[in-house]
Amino acid sequence: MTAGPFLLLAALCLVVGVAAGARWPRLWLVLVMTGTIAALVAALIMLLGAPDWEWRNQFSVGGEPLHFRLDALSALFLALVGVVGGAGAVYAGGYWPDSHYPASAPRSRTWWAALILSMLAILLSSNGLHFLIAWELFAISAYFLITLDNAQREVRAAGWLYLAVSHAGTVCLFAFFAGLAARTGSWELGPMREQAGLAPFFWLMLMGFGVKAGVFPLHIWLPSAHANAPSHVSAIMSGVAIKMGVYGIIRFSGWLPAPAAAGWVVLGLGAMGALLGIIFAFAQNDFKRLLAYCSVENVGVIMVGLGAALLASAHGGGLWGQLALAGALLHVWNHGLFKSLLFFGAGSVLHATGTREMSRLGGLWRVMPWTAGLFGVGALAVSSLPPLNGFVSEWLVYLGLFDAVTGRGPAAGAAMLAAILLGMAGALALASFLKAGSVIFLGAARTKAAALAHESGWQMRGPMLVLAALCGLIGLAPVIFWPAVARAVGIWLPAWTPAAAPAPLLTLGTVHVVLALLIAVAATWLWHKAHVNGLRRGLTWDCAYEGPAARMQYSGGSFSSTSAQWFSWILRPVLSLRRPRGPFPSAAVRLETFPEAVLERIVAPVGTAVMQISTAVRRLQHGRLQAYILYIVAGLTALSGLVLLGGAR
Amino acid sequence: MNLAIDLIARLAWWLLLAPLLPGVINKVKAWVGGRRGPPVLQLYYDLMRLWQKGVVLSKLASPGFVAGPAVAWVAITAAAMLVPLGPMGAALSFRGDVLLMLYLLALARFCTGWAAMETGSAFEGMGTVREVSYAVLAEAALIAAMLSLSVQTGSVALATMLDPSAGAGAVLLAAGIFTVLLAENCRVPFDDPSTHLELTMIHEAMILDHSGPPLAVILHGASVKLLLFSVLLTEAVLPMGELSPFAKMGALLAGVLTVTISVGLVESLLARFAFRRVPLLLTTAILLCLFALLVAWKGGAV
Repeated sequence: MTAGPFLLLAALCLVVGVAAGARWPRLWLVLVMTGTIAALVAALIMLLGAPDWEWRNQFSVGGEPLHFRLDALSALFLALVGVVGGAGAVYAGGYWPDSHYPASAPRSRTWWAALILSMLAILLSSNGLHFLIAWELFAISAYFLITLDNAQREVRAAGWLYLAVSHAGTVCLFAFFAGLAARTGSWELGPMREQAGLAPFFWLMLMGFGVKAGVFPLHIWLPSAHANAPSHVSAIMSGVAIKMGVYGIIRFSGWLPAPAAAGWVVLGLGAMGALLGIIFAFAQNDFKRLLAYCSVENVGVIMVGLGAALLASAHGGGLWGQLALAGALLHVWNHGLFKSLLFFGAGSVLHATGTREMSRLGGLWRVMPWTAGLFGVGALAVSSLPPLNGFVSEWLVYLGLFDAVTGRGPAAGAAMLAAILLGMAGALALASFLKAGSVIFLGAARTKAAALAHESGWQMRGPMLVLAALCGLIGLAPVIFWPAVARAVGIWLPAWTPAAAPAPLLTLGTVHVVLALLIAVAATWLWHKAHVNGLRRGLTWDCAYEGPAARMQYSGGSFSSTSAQWFSWILRPVLSLRRPRGPFPSAAVRLETFPEAVLERIVAPVGTAVMQISTAVRRLQHGRLQAYILYIVAGLTALSGLVLLGGAR
Repeated sequence: MNLAIDLIARLAWWLLLAPLLPGVINKVKAWVGGRRGPPVLQLYYDLMRLWQKGVVLSKLASPGFVAGPAVAWVAITAAAMLVPLGPMGAALSFRGDVLLMLYLLALARFCTGWAAMETGSAFEGMGTVREVSYAVLAEAALIAAMLSLSVQTGSVALATMLDPSAGAGAVLLAAGIFTVLLAENCRVPFDDPSTHLELTMIHEAMILDHSGPPLAVILHGASVKLLLFSVLLTEAVLPMGELSPFAKMGALLAGVLTVTISVGLVESLLARFAFRRVPLLLTTAILLCLFALLVAWKGGAV
């Protein structure tokens, strides 16, 4: 069985889906589901060991003949596109229905199909020009999806920022692909590790794809875009779309020769980004923004794995690099799954309460038990806690780093630092998601909106259940997924031939199963024991205070206050404070907000400075003929002066 | 059959011995303070009584309020099973088990915090925030400590990592891990377990609303965690691999007792730090572990 027919089916369904989406929602759902399932099947066929699929045709687009290719590495990403693309299509039916959004729901369907189609095209393209075309289509469809709710000012601002930053990245990619084509004489893409002269292109590639992936200092578009987009769009953006940037970096770092500094830079960016990303996440009070910043952290984890692999391949091909890269690739899946799950959960909450401010919520588990439970599963997974999937991939990355250290190779020092930073990031991720989960779902409702919330329908719960089940499956049986990941690693560096699953992974899976069973038994037993002994409901013990109110609970801001102080050097919190005054104080305000530090403190000032300089220089050009003649005369005089002086010497 | 006996013996060590440690600490504190103090076995009596008692549940709490302590207890016990016990070795040892141990402790932290936040009490929120925030620094120190053991032995499995002593950096490592032990187990100078002022507590503030069997499970889990850290510290510093089985067992017991008495002495002689100074102390722990790592690296012993 080859992947070809399934890919054709997927492409056809999605093309028809783009055309039919606006008018016929049911047909669109069937088409997108068929398309994504076909893509998933094609990806699975590749991952289960089929030889690379290639398709060439003399039919040319833009003067270049079509050339598509699917190998295990692109299939790994394609599988994620298939799962989340399908789940999101179902979810959108409940979350963004025609009845509520008559204007934007049809657009949502059209661009959803276009987004998946363009991601399919990116993953299949084996020609630089076609890759660029697909990339541009991808960026545009994402833009229209982000700005679905374009009546709102912040949404338009977020979309605009996304479009601008995304195109700054695309400029780098234009330079990258064009330069590559000029050097090699063809737009065809493929392994070219032997051509050492191509190494400098690595940096252009890293810039271009790094913007899309949200690698730390280039992530500036990500928080506002993911927070302001509708939640089904946030899910696919955070879970899958930024992975296209990751795909680009992994793909081309495998195909191109890497400069000597590449591994160090990628590892450093990754470790720093993981820690700083999660520091920002923990400080956020908007739960979708918190999730968005957490994506920056997870991309950092993936970059740490890739950086270790680059270092290993540069210094003798140690097997620890293979482990780290396998961890990074598995983390691509894991992050895609649990981040989509969390954004779906966040969407459920937003849908039911109408606010993204977690300190206005609370006690939602009572009215939304499904969402609360599933969000809890996602929170455990994203905090990389056993026995769920997030731990498995982080464990592989850690194991690679620890092996690099015990191997005492040249990369050992960097691996030590990266492991320590990852540990801190992990503990902060735990804190962030304990904050999000508990402030939103536990305690008492802080506002009327939270008290009057309602559980979401099956269309929204179903996809969340599927994603949570997959998170559990990867956690409990990681060995099943190892061959697929190992094949992708083998594509990245052929010297790392796919090996059998390492024995510790098998043990880890068994431990996870036992742990899950024990947890279930212990929790049930304790619950039962509490009931047998006699269970009585009472007021929360608040130091014997008889009238605890919902407003007295710890809020999102108070939750992160301790560590926000430690990290104020990077968070740059803005505090507006009005203290209570006089013997009968009437009002007092304490408002702490966390700006987008990188955007507002670095990028914006630099941008303003560039604008000011440009405006100043622009005065030279004003359309007055006399002045231009003066410039010419002055220029000529200066030149002749130079010539005369040179002649005299 | 042997496996079953081994498992039972091991569980007995961890589960039955653990509640002794807080008793010893309290006895040391009483002795230094010139009091008679509660009996050494006090925690056993408390646990037995709590296990029989009824439960008062906050009106706001979900089933997670009871499930949280159960999951935390399972996680801590599972982490303990990964730690080798002198001559008995570990119940299960594989490459990378050290990371599983650290993350199982993190799972316990998440679940205790979750259960605390169930009640909507500001005091419990305070405790949770302190616990998870200080854990960030403690985690960095622990990873650095484990790295230094890995470098020392060239291994990533706890059983072989803890076999030889920590070498030249042992003193640094011991100081670092001991500081983390105090922080992670909420002892003075980070937390005062015997205070009755909710504002100044960490762990005790998190469990204000728990009662009956869930409280028993939490207290027992906390004592197992203390024992786990004591065993870890002892084995990291002492060269266990070079001793005969009986000497190993003796050394382990003596080590755990020494650590416990030290905790008691620290508690008697030091006051609790102001919370703003806690990060400084934890940063010192990170530095100590980093220096131990450096010594192990430069020592070059494999």
